[in-house]
Amino acid sequence: MTAVIPAATVPRRAWKNTSLGRFFRNPRSVAGAGLLLLFVLLALLAPVLTPYNPNSLQFDAFMGFSAQHPLGTTALGQDIFSQFVYGARLTLLVGSAAGLIATFLSVTFGLAAAYFGGRVDEAINTLINVFLVLPGLPLIIVAAAFIRGGGVWPVILVIGLTGWAFGARVLRSQALALRERDFIAAATVAGEGPIRIIFVEMLPNMAGLIAANFFGAALYAVLSEAGLSFIGVGDVSLVTWGTMLYWAQAKGALLQGAWWWVALPGLSIALLGTSFALLNFAVDEISNPKLGGGRLKMPRRTVSAAGPAPVAGDALLAINDLNVGYVTPTGTVRAVRDVTLEVQPGELLGLAGESGCGKSTLAFAATRLLDPPGAVLGGSVRLAEHDLLALSPEELRQVRWKEFSIVFQASMSVLNPVLKIREQVYDAMQAHGVTDKAKLDARARELFDLVGIQTSYLDAYPHQLSGGMKQRVVIAIALALEPKLIVMDEPTTALDVVVQRQILQEINDVRRRLGISIIFITHDLSLLVEMSDRVAIMYAGEVVEQAPAHQLYAHPAHPYTQQLMNSFPPMTGPRTRRSGIPGKPPPLSAEIVGCPFFERCTKRMPGVCDVKPLQTFPVAEHQTAACFLYDPTVSPALKGNAIRESQINAGQSNAGQISAGQISAGQISAGEVSREPARNAKLN
Amino acid sequence: MSYLLRKLGIFVFTLWVAATLNFILPRLVPGDPVSVMLAKYQGRLDPSAVDALKIAYGLNDLGSPISQYFTYLGNLLRGDFGRSISLFPTPVIDVVLRALPYTLGLVGITTIISFVLGSGLGLYSGWRRGRAGADAVVPAALFLSSMPYFWFGLLLLYVLAFQLKWFPLSGALDPFPGDAYSAGWWSSLARHAVLPVLTILVTSVGGWLITMRNNVISVASEDYLAFARAKGLSEGRIVNRYVLRNALLPSFTAFGMSLGFVVGGSILTEIVFSYPGLGYYLYQSVTNLDYPLMQALFFFIALAVLLANLLVDLINVILDPRIREGRA
Repeated sequence: MTAVIPAATVPRRAWKNTSLGRFFRNPRSVAGAGLLLLFVLLALLAPVLTPYNPNSLQFDAFMGFSAQHPLGTTALGQDIFSQFVYGARLTLLVGSAAGLIATFLSVTFGLAAAYFGGRVDEAINTLINVFLVLPGLPLIIVAAAFIRGGGVWPVILVIGLTGWAFGARVLRSQALALRERDFIAAATVAGEGPIRIIFVEMLPNMAGLIAANFFGAALYAVLSEAGLSFIGVGDVSLVTWGTMLYWAQAKGALLQGAWWWVALPGLSIALLGTSFALLNFAVDEISNPKLGGGRLKMPRRTVSAAGPAPVAGDALLAINDLNVGYVTPTGTVRAVRDVTLEVQPGELLGLAGESGCGKSTLAFAATRLLDPPGAVLGGSVRLAEHDLLALSPEELRQVRWKEFSIVFQASMSVLNPVLKIREQVYDAMQAHGVTDKAKLDARARELFDLVGIQTSYLDAYPHQLSGGMKQRVVIAIALALEPKLIVMDEPTTALDVVVQRQILQEINDVRRRLGISIIFITHDLSLLVEMSDRVAIMYAGEVVEQAPAHQLYAHPAHPYTQQLMNSFPPMTGPRTRRSGIPGKPPPLSAEIVGCPFFERCTKRMPGVCDVKPLQTFPVAEHQTAACFLYDPTVSPALKGNAIRESQINAGQSNAGQISAGQISAGQISAGEVSREPARNAKLN
Repeated sequence: MSYLLRKLGIFVFTLWVAATLNFILPRLVPGDPVSVMLAKYQGRLDPSAVDALKIAYGLNDLGSPISQYFTYLGNLLRGDFGRSISLFPTPVIDVVLRALPYTLGLVGITTIISFVLGSGLGLYSGWRRGRAGADAVVPAALFLSSMPYFWFGLLLLYVLAFQLKWFPLSGALDPFPGDAYSAGWWSSLARHAVLPVLTILVTSVGGWLITMRNNVISVASEDYLAFARAKGLSEGRIVNRYVLRNALLPSFTAFGMSLGFVVGGSILTEIVFSYPGLGYYLYQSVTNLDYPLMQALFFFIALAVLLANLLVDLINVILDPRIREGRA
């Protein structure tokens, strides 16, 4: 009895996310499976569906439709309907048996090549190439011509033995990719044998691909059998849809007007083939997420009736109450929540937070680069005089790069691999009206000098450049039109420390010289504090603190910022043990009541932080924090308690951690923090 | 350079495999193919044809299988494929050379048109994914590419040629088309080609469509595409230089590899329309047990597909700078 309970309590959501669940929600796989089931039933129920033997020649030739013979008779006096029904049996047998043989060979060769590598791989790969380019059907025809009349198995064998190469090639490359993965390496180190690694570790991970491969091979087999039978190679005394076509053609069915004798078996082959093809396509789509998706309904952005909020002061970029979500089959994940942020002209704003806190989503949404399933759910973004979220595609295209540009996180792969660097520097400028070749060339050289790459690399292809050089090229392209704003999403994380330093120094020099504003996104808080004018800290999709960099460094206000600072070593002072922040952020799919950091906060105030709707409170001049410790309406006694408790806990668990000279959460005294609300009260 | 040498090596090797299969297959049959054939023709065979057969199979050569094999390879290199049984005493090579232009013209040109058309539709379907029209072509393409070529040809033949009499029923030319390459000759050739072309086109276009669509969808999620959009490039430029240029590479490779399959299917179309190309003669040789002709035809079909593949590899070098440096 008890064993039943866990199965019964598995949430419906989990089931929907399994491959099988997706299989049954994919219209293509359902259609394919339904069609296949229909044919299988037809084959199994043949004796029930028709009283006649398909080979019996007892009737008159070329009889029309009648109750006795729903599809008439053949030129030899066989019942066409019973031929059709019984023909399904052998046709399905050929498809599935030859498909299985071919798939077995594909899997064996593909996995062996990938697992053993070296000479074995080379030999198998050559064999695959040979079988791929050898024209299959003529080979089968020639081979089958020598084995004619031997029943159905020689045909199955010949088709299976010639149809495996395509699948082997696909499986080999998939297995090669899999082999690079950590868990295979771990199994190898743990001393597992090749058989075990192939069958236990690798095969289950390739199940989807193997299934897709089987359906592809079955389609090939059914079509090949039909072709072979049609030209009379193989055994034409058998009843398959292919041999039906052979006899129909040989006996001039069309000339006699018995067109259905030709139409029905052919259409059935096409439909059976379609069911295999649909299953192949659907299984491929399900196991390769890149191909799936994209069919979800996107929500429209809700724009308040009053229109976008007016820009306060002379900010260059004003993000107002921006909400961004990812639409998934199980609901919307709100990745950016009510974010309001401004960037002043010439300012370098740092945006920091843990992975998955919504930094990149914010940047992508604000620049309208977010792809489905991501969608802006509400709010406004204003850049200079443009309402970015309201621009038409063509207006947006014109504003892009001219007014703002972006340096992506994955700069290693943002350059088009088949175009020369020069073309990719030019086209950004050409798209915005610079067409004079001499001007383009001069500007490209100037930019490359600016970021420190030899101009000869203009005529190189991306794969000829190192990672650091590619990054510089991307930055050069971002500077090409001297935009007012550059968004840099972790531009240097993939580079080594020395190159990182150089590039950051250059970015800083250039932006000061040209007066460009920069939004600099990173999880490296110490780097930000050093570089930025102002820093915004994000947590669980919300901006929890904003302050000038030096202020944030000296007096982090939000408990999250304090703990974040504590997890990086200071630039100076004695070496001490660092602690991470225990726990993890709340799931963004859930509605969060109160403060999202409540669960992990050492200074939380139960009854306040987990109940009241979160608000942002001023902490000092130019500093705000989304924390109830700065809420003037919360009693100072409650705040004092929370802070005292956090210090007692810190003292118990990390006795050695807080040391003199260290600027961290622990160092801010209770008095200091409790002084802040007082200051707030004054400001208010 | 090493890339091309490798491809050339595979070309020669595969051709050798094809030739060797040709040598081995008849010897795998229990008994001796010549006596099987003699039994079938029941003494209607010319004694000189019997001799020719024995020569073709190396049965006059009483040496070891190894020496038979080398004699066979030597004959192959000299272009000596023996004489046809069914069209005796025509040398096999003459039959092949007569049929070759028709197959190259029909299957070759149609396959290229089909690839271009299918890739174009696949580009549309992949790029506009999510729209009703772009998604509806997928099941349609899967159905079309699951139809047996010859069956669709039969239907076209029945409706358009037999019932409506819009097109001729068979052959590549009228019995008396006029002087070769005259206007009347060309129009006769074109009228005869319409139905076979339509058959190959309709049944093969779906495969290229699906391949290209999948490649476009893969490219659409690449970082360089997001960067191109961020740069504010026009849609035309993004589609041409970023999507198509990158999606075409794997499509093109797939084209080379599927050629063998497509050509195999296409030659069945020749049978339906009695179009006098390699496929039609392959069918004739199979029904007449004309083994020398059958083997030479297989060899030439393989040769044509292999040469086309080599061409695809050459073009790949031009299209992909990474291959040029032996990185891919």
